[in-house]
Formats: sequence, C-alpha cells, structure tokens
Amino acid sequence: MPTGDYDSKPSWADQVEEEGGDDDKCITSELLKDIPLTAVLGGDLGASVAEAEAKAESELLKDGPLPSPKELINGNIKTITEYREEEDGRKVKIIRTFRIETRKASKAVARRKNWKKFGNSEFDAPGPSIATTTVSDDVFMTFITSKEDLNCQEEEDPMNKLKGQKIVSCRICKGDHWTTRCPYKDTLGPMQKELAEQLGLSTGEKEKLPGEPEPVQAAQSKTGKYVPPSLRDGACRRGESMQPNRRADDNATIRVTNLSEDTRETDLQELFRPFGSISRIYLAKDKATGQSKGFAFISFHRREDAARAIAGVSGFGYDHLILNVEWAKPSTN
Amino acid sequence: MKPILLQGHERSITQLKYNREGDLLFTVAKDPIVNVWYSVNGERLGTYNGHTGAVWCVDADWDTRHVLTGSADNSCRLWDCETGKQLALVKTSSAVRTCGFDFGGNIIMFSTDKQMGYQCFVSFFDLRDSSQIENDEPYMKIPCSESKITSAVWGPLGEFIIAGHENGELNQFSAKSGEQLTNVKEHTKQINDIQTSRDMTMFITASKDNTAKLFDSTTLDHLKTFRTERPVNSAALSPIFDHVVLGGGQEAMDVTTTSTRIGKFEARFFHLGVEEEFGRIKGHFGPINSVAFHPDGKSYSSGGEDGYVRIHYFDPQYFEFEFEV
Repeated sequence: MPTGDYDSKPSWADQVEEEGGDDDKCITSELLKDIPLTAVLGGDLGASVAEAEAKAESELLKDGPLPSPKELINGNIKTITEYREEEDGRKVKIIRTFRIETRKASKAVARRKNWKKFGNSEFDAPGPSIATTTVSDDVFMTFITSKEDLNCQEEEDPMNKLKGQKIVSCRICKGDHWTTRCPYKDTLGPMQKELAEQLGLSTGEKEKLPGEPEPVQAAQSKTGKYVPPSLRDGACRRGESMQPNRRADDNATIRVTNLSEDTRETDLQELFRPFGSISRIYLAKDKATGQSKGFAFISFHRREDAARAIAGVSGFGYDHLILNVEWAKPSTN
Repeated sequence: MKPILLQGHERSITQLKYNREGDLLFTVAKDPIVNVWYSVNGERLGTYNGHTGAVWCVDADWDTRHVLTGSADNSCRLWDCETGKQLALVKTSSAVRTCGFDFGGNIIMFSTDKQMGYQCFVSFFDLRDSSQIENDEPYMKIPCSESKITSAVWGPLGEFIIAGHENGELNQFSAKSGEQLTNVKEHTKQINDIQTSRDMTMFITASKDNTAKLFDSTTLDHLKTFRTERPVNSAALSPIFDHVVLGGGQEAMDVTTTSTRIGKFEARFFHLGVEEEFGRIKGHFGPINSVAFHPDGKSYSSGGEDGYVRIHYFDPQYFEFEFEV
C-alpha cells in the first residue's frame, strides 16, 4: 500500500494513476457526463451540451489538513481532484475525469441547458452532483430470439433434475462415482473381494436373520402415530432390563482407535457401511471442543459384518493415520 | 450500457415523463419532491417544492413552460418549469390521481380519487381564464360514480380524454361537452398506466391483469395484447421502432418476501406486431412503476418501487437487432 509518500512530490497524480489498477484500496468508478464550463451558445443552432465518461480514483493520504479541491481542464478533459476524510479517519484523494462533449441541439433545448438550477439543486455546482447522479453497473439487454429460449429459461438445465438422483454407484464403496475412480479401490476393493470369497457372501446390506431383534424404530415409523409405551413391541416383557439387548449388540461391536481429530460420525458411516448394516455409531468426542477423541465404537447388526470390518479396515490408512480396529471389550459395569 | 442512476427520491417512483424534445425528464414519487433532470447526463436541474404528500402524476406542456403535478395532499399545482416557482394551486377534496395538459397547453385536466366519501371527478380548467383557478371553478367537471379513474391521457387534438378505470374499463370523455363518447372493457383489472404513441393515433394500457394492450385512440378498438405473468405497471411505445417496453413485477406488498432473482423486475421489450417478447433489461431491485421512451427512441427511463430512476441509453445491438418471426 503506497501510503502517504506522494503528497510532497509534484507528480503525485501521475503516480496515483499508475498505482491505481492493482491497489485494492482504490475506488475506481465511472462518472458521467458533465456540462462544459465554457459553454458558449452558438448562433442559430449551436448549443453546447456536454457528456463525458469519467474515472475516479482515490488514494490514502498522510495526516494533516485536507488540501482544497482542484479543477483542471485540459482540452475536452476535465479533471477534478478532491480530498475527503473517511469515516475511519483515513484521508482519501479522489480524482475524477470527465469528458466534455459538445452537442448540437435545437434552440429551445440549448436555452434550457443553460437554465439556472433551482429548488433543492439551487446551490449545486455545474455538472451532475454525486449526491443525486451516479453511473450504475453495466447492464445488457438479454435478447430472446424465439419462443423456445423463453421456455428454456424457466425449465433451466435438464441436468439439474438428475442431480438429486444417483446415476453412478461405485461397487466398492457405494459412492457417487465409477468403480474405477473409487478412492478406496486399492485398499477396500481387493479386501472385500477376498472376504466375500472367504465367507461366501457378497458385501452390502442383507436381510436380517430371523430371530435377530428388529429395531423398534421400524414398527413405530409405519403409522407415524404416537404409541404409548405400554402398547409397544416388547411391552409384555415387563421388568426386563435393557442390559441384555445391549449385550447382544456388544457382540457385534468393534472398537476403532487411532482416528484423526477431524473424524465425524458420517465419515465412519461411509467407511463401514460397505461391510454391512450398522446399528449404532458412537464416536467419542471432547465435550468442550466437539473434536474427536480418537476412538469410536461401531455396532453392526450382525457379527459377521463386524468380523469383516475388522479384517478389512484394521491397518487401513485413514486421513494420515493407520486405523486400529478390534473387538470391543464388554463394558465393565 | 451503463445506466445513469438518479437518486432524487426517498420513496417509490410513481411516474416519469419526458418533455416534448426529451431533454428534460420529470420524475415524481411517493414523496413530496418533484424532480426535473437533464436526460443527457442525469444532472438535476431542480426540484419543485411545495407539495406535502405523495405525488401521483406529472405532465409538462408542449413548449416546456409549465409543469403540472397532482398529489395525494389534495392539490394539483402548476409550476413555472424554468424557475421552479408555483404558479397556481387547485385545492381538491381528495387525492389527484392523473393530470395532463392538452395539446395546446391551455387546458388542464385532472382526476381525483374516490376517497373519504368523495366521488371521483375529472376537472377541466382553462388556463387562459385565470378566474377559473382563482375561484376554483372548473369549466367542466365530470363525475365518475361507477369506478374511479386510475390513469388518463389526452386524446389527439385535445378533443377528448382517454381514461382507464379501476375495474379495467376504458372511457372517452369529450373535453367540450363532458359526455362519455366510447366505452370498452378489455381489461379485467385496474388500468395502471396509459401512454400514447408519438402521433397519438394509438395508445397502450398497462393493467394489473398481467397484460398490456394496444388500442386505437379514436375508436378504442383493441389491436394487440402483450401478455406477461406479473401485473404490468407501465407500458410505453417506442417512437422509432415497433417496440413496446413493459415495466412491472409482482405487487409491491409481496416484494419483501421474494428474492430479486425470481421477482421478474426486468423491463421487458415486446415486438408491437407479433406480440412477442424479444428482450429484457435488468436493474431495479423492485417492480418497475413507470417507464418512458425518450422521444428520439434512443434511450428509455424506468422508475421503480426501489425509488431509483434509471436512464438507459441503448447499445448499438439494440438498433441492429432484427426480430425474427
């Protein structure tokens, strides 16, 4: 930021112009047309009406009193240099350049152009006032050549419709990409194949084995109505503690350690989903920061899935760490 | 194109009008200030101060000597265009909705709202007879009991006025006898704006029923329809091409609940003959309330609910554009 060095140099303005482009503190805007200061009404049809495109640039100044504004007319270019103090106390130099244009107009129009300003503009200087007149951003006319184009705009891209649907599904991780492009293809892919051969099963979610406890949620969500606890499934099993169920779960629970701090539940879900349906994911998190503490428990519905997960992911590099996966030990209490 | 943005109003724009040559642009809004601008560079020439309420309408006479404004402060005022001085004041019993000079600039017409128990009236004053304004005695006063007038213009040669009503009706009232000459009902909702073509043989109406329609001035024959999906607040005919510009958008009361992207606040250009849209220009942050073509057809202005007036000088592409049927 070239601050303040220039105000003592005579070529200040030139340098500012040069610096203007790549300085992010610079405000470059375009301003308007301006009436000529030397407008002279011609004979029959001559009237001068001016128009200009202008450039405004600003630059930070050093401390000290604000210099008075200057106006310079060079040919048909008018330059106005102003100094202004910003709200935060910075002093800014603004250079506006106007192009003065002379136009021919009818007598009546020419006469009107030289009318004195009145009302709220009575004390405005000649030329457009910044308070009331600014040049807006470039706009373009959007041409519509035929009816089809019109409809297109409303319907938008047909690809957008497909966005929600999965067109491609990876065989390895079920992700939204081709199998060959799978980021896990070198690690998970071969392992899964091996495991599938060993166990005679394919990966993915399976029908639950009969007798396995159905998640209570499923029954409830069917109707969406409130069911009092006394009428719910398992209400007959009075006094039964929750503990045995947890135990059953524990059988298919694995412990994952050496996770990175940035791990989230969704990451784990993505990582372990390929091995089978997951009933619960518990990721230990720091209460204060919400960061992962580095270990997690994953409960599968079936023990085989859990076994395959251990075999598959243990030693698998995730983020920058090597994961360690083992059976969760039953909790001591 | 880089539009010139005019910030002279604090409330939404109600009407804008060029004078005959197009060098001056008059703008009025729902604030008491009447602004006049040089259309060439957007410089403000001055303001006509005196109203105490929203100003609904403005008109300038043929040689831009006088300016007429009508306001919701129950007054219609005549101003000296050059100095901004108020020349005459007509007190009314309700808000003045539309006003206009006749072709010669000698007769003024304005309509008042049906409001506070008062009927809608169209009043005619002859400026040559100064006693008419002094004694508040219009030479003619036409009552409109059925539906109030929401927009009105003078017809060709100052023989009659064309009035658009709140219920969508169009009427011709003779400026001599005051009788109703012709009546049609082509619109189903309020007519927001009427503007004549350069030669005054045709006029275009903008209506809340989402259409703008072209009519013959003398017979009120319906000629063309321009359909949009939003209420049309204003429509103007190009003086040099067979083009129509429509300004509109959803109703102002719904604006805050919609984003600008889907609000459809663009100015829309239609081809006069085939009634099809061929272009749009964005810019306003709210519905456009008034549009006007410069009499040379090389620029147009729009004023919106956002309180800004934008003067657009067309790019060369606009003049090169040819409509493909």
